[in-house]
Amino acid sequence: MRARTDAKCQGGLLLCLVAAAWLGTGPIVWAQATAVPPASGDGTGSLGLKEGAKISSERVEEIYRKILLDWSAGETERAPEELIQLETAAIVDGEPKTRKALLGAEQRVIHQVGAADLEVLVPIAVLHHEAYRRLLERRTRGEAMAMVHTRSMARDLVILYHEQSGSEGAGLVASRLLTSLGGLLLQSAQQLPAGEMFQQAAELDGKNVAALLGLASIYEKNAQPETAVKQLRRALEADPASAEAKLRLALNLKRLDQTAEAGKLLEELTAAVDSSWVTPLAFQELARLHSDKGRQAEAEKVLRKGIERHPDDMRLVIQLAAVLDRRGSAGEATALVEKLLASQPKAEASARYLYNTVRPEAFAPARSFLAENSRSRLPVLAQALNAPAEASGMGLGR
Amino acid sequence: MSGLRTARFGLALALGLLVGGTARAQVAVRIQSPTPDQPIFGQTEVEVGIRSGEAVDRVEVFLDGKLVGSAKTPPFRVRVDVGDENVQREFKAVAYTVSGASGTDSVVTQPVQIMDELNLKLRALFVSVSRGGAQNLSLEQGDFQIYDNGDAQEIVTFGRDELPLTAVLLLDTSESMREKELEAVRRGARAFLGGMKPSDEAMLALFSDRLLKFTPFTADKKVLGAAFADAHAAGGTAVNDFLYLSLKALDSRQGQRVVVLFSDGSDVHSVLPASEVLWKARAGQSLIYWIQLGGQRKSFTSAWRDYQGNDQEYDNLDKAVRESGGRILAVERPEELEGAFRDILQELRQQYALGYYPTTAKGDGKWHKVEVRVKGFAGRVRTREGYADH
Repeated sequence: MRARTDAKCQGGLLLCLVAAAWLGTGPIVWAQATAVPPASGDGTGSLGLKEGAKISSERVEEIYRKILLDWSAGETERAPEELIQLETAAIVDGEPKTRKALLGAEQRVIHQVGAADLEVLVPIAVLHHEAYRRLLERRTRGEAMAMVHTRSMARDLVILYHEQSGSEGAGLVASRLLTSLGGLLLQSAQQLPAGEMFQQAAELDGKNVAALLGLASIYEKNAQPETAVKQLRRALEADPASAEAKLRLALNLKRLDQTAEAGKLLEELTAAVDSSWVTPLAFQELARLHSDKGRQAEAEKVLRKGIERHPDDMRLVIQLAAVLDRRGSAGEATALVEKLLASQPKAEASARYLYNTVRPEAFAPARSFLAENSRSRLPVLAQALNAPAEASGMGLGR
Repeated sequence: MSGLRTARFGLALALGLLVGGTARAQVAVRIQSPTPDQPIFGQTEVEVGIRSGEAVDRVEVFLDGKLVGSAKTPPFRVRVDVGDENVQREFKAVAYTVSGASGTDSVVTQPVQIMDELNLKLRALFVSVSRGGAQNLSLEQGDFQIYDNGDAQEIVTFGRDELPLTAVLLLDTSESMREKELEAVRRGARAFLGGMKPSDEAMLALFSDRLLKFTPFTADKKVLGAAFADAHAAGGTAVNDFLYLSLKALDSRQGQRVVVLFSDGSDVHSVLPASEVLWKARAGQSLIYWIQLGGQRKSFTSAWRDYQGNDQEYDNLDKAVRESGGRILAVERPEELEGAFRDILQELRQQYALGYYPTTAKGDGKWHKVEVRVKGFAGRVRTREGYADH
């Protein structure tokens, strides 16, 4: 999994190229920083930095190096917080040159430590990923450019790592980090950049089911079921047991009026022993498919079986009441509804909501994978940071 | 309309013979209700009379051969839902004494004849009459004319503000609702509930992609108001499913029935399409009022439908509202919500209630266009646009 820099790395040039892309209008940069007015708070944080205050590049390098050192020492709480402090203090929304200055300083540190061992790029990328995750959670006004910056750092560092290493393992790491970033972007309703992340993640690892599902969910939400179907077939090829891939494929096929295959997939899902949200939704959709074709008796049968398996699923009961109404059994339909309304409902998210919403747990395996890969490389990062500066230079001019 | 009683009380007694010294006590059983001449639908109480020389252990009741309940103490009554199908049904009661002796009786009820069914279908129309924004409240029965598929109908019931009102306040509290909007909805709903008469009842339901909270139908304003306690916005929006549920819950109510829906209508989580709501609105007699906050209708795609599909959903929902005789109230700002709720209650209070037996009803599910005219009146007359003849 690990690749040394000596054989392949022409780190200096490549890092320069990537840096150029960070700063330019190349495909790597997503110009999505919104015009949010700067925060008015004057908190200085534990680093003693004031937002918007001018910090010399030497000071930035020094602080960044210290943060990386903390991170390599296992300071998983402090390091990301300090990175956020540094980047939000150094970058002022609406002033691109502040970002350029920060990038230059961070880049110089990365060049120094990266020359010693390419593997250090993984924990540094994961640190930026973590800072981005926290920034996204806070959604503080005036930090949009800092968010874009730290997300770009995470992404570009793993892409660089993959390009330099060329190993399959590096591809897997990069793919997982991009998947996780895609998930975070989806959570903040940024579908286009999320789609680009998933696309790239799937290119790096064709068996990355989470990325393929994320990509398919974006296509289906944007009225492109044909493209969603392609991604879902790839996901099922990678993991034939993925119930979610099967369900999404069935629903997209249904939208394309390929109801025979959709019905078959839904029947497989309803027959399977699975306690997740997928099964009640499969029952609902299979019954809906029958109802749409005027087969109310079959719909009724499916719904009764579904209710037997999932008695707490209110939607199945409402759907059965509607089918019974249609079939002329209004009395039984009324009794069902009255029974439903005789007890307070469970206010849990419905299966339909879960289908339609970004579930953080869908990206949890990618994050665990990243955490593990970052942890195993922390000693290498510590070693690189502690090495004498002269020995760690990569020949890059400042 | 005839029925059969397969074992008669008297006959059972007449045959009550003691057989030798080991004979058990005789048990005479009679199903007192339902009677063979009684049409049976829905919830039905089966009442059984017993005569026996010893204590009765239990009475079991069977419907079409299937055990549906038992009673251990007098009066021996069992409640059973027989469904809405117009078919012959056999009730059987078997009584057992403590010594194990038993007796039985059965009743076969017959389906009602088609003419009887037609007679049951009184159509109620709630009519708003206005000119220049002011309601005309001085009309008499003779001022109205009803046309059902173009045929003039005889008005058999007439009134205004006399029928009890049953309302479902169905309020969207999905995650897109901010506290300011939630508070405005609370105020609006409280204004509506505050204006209800003692004979009126309401059910308050807060929904998103799930049913977050609801009350039973009640006239108790404290119970209704309490539903707002701890209410918070969560989840997506599933209008169709919960609007259908509300209409269905109103099916078994009497009088003037209404659903007041508050939602932006961007339904991305329902399992039922809006066409099901439309079908239900056409088949039922409830009015639907839809308060929309935010004005403009938005086109959108979702995981289930494209732009066209979602537009169609909106159109069907819009149609369900209009055809039910209700209307859409679009408000721009949360501050206007309270006024919208008040307007609806006032409009309901000022509606004329007209009843008629459709002369052309066949129960074939076909659409009947309804028109109400007011003689010599040039203003606006609004009621439901028609109904499906189920």
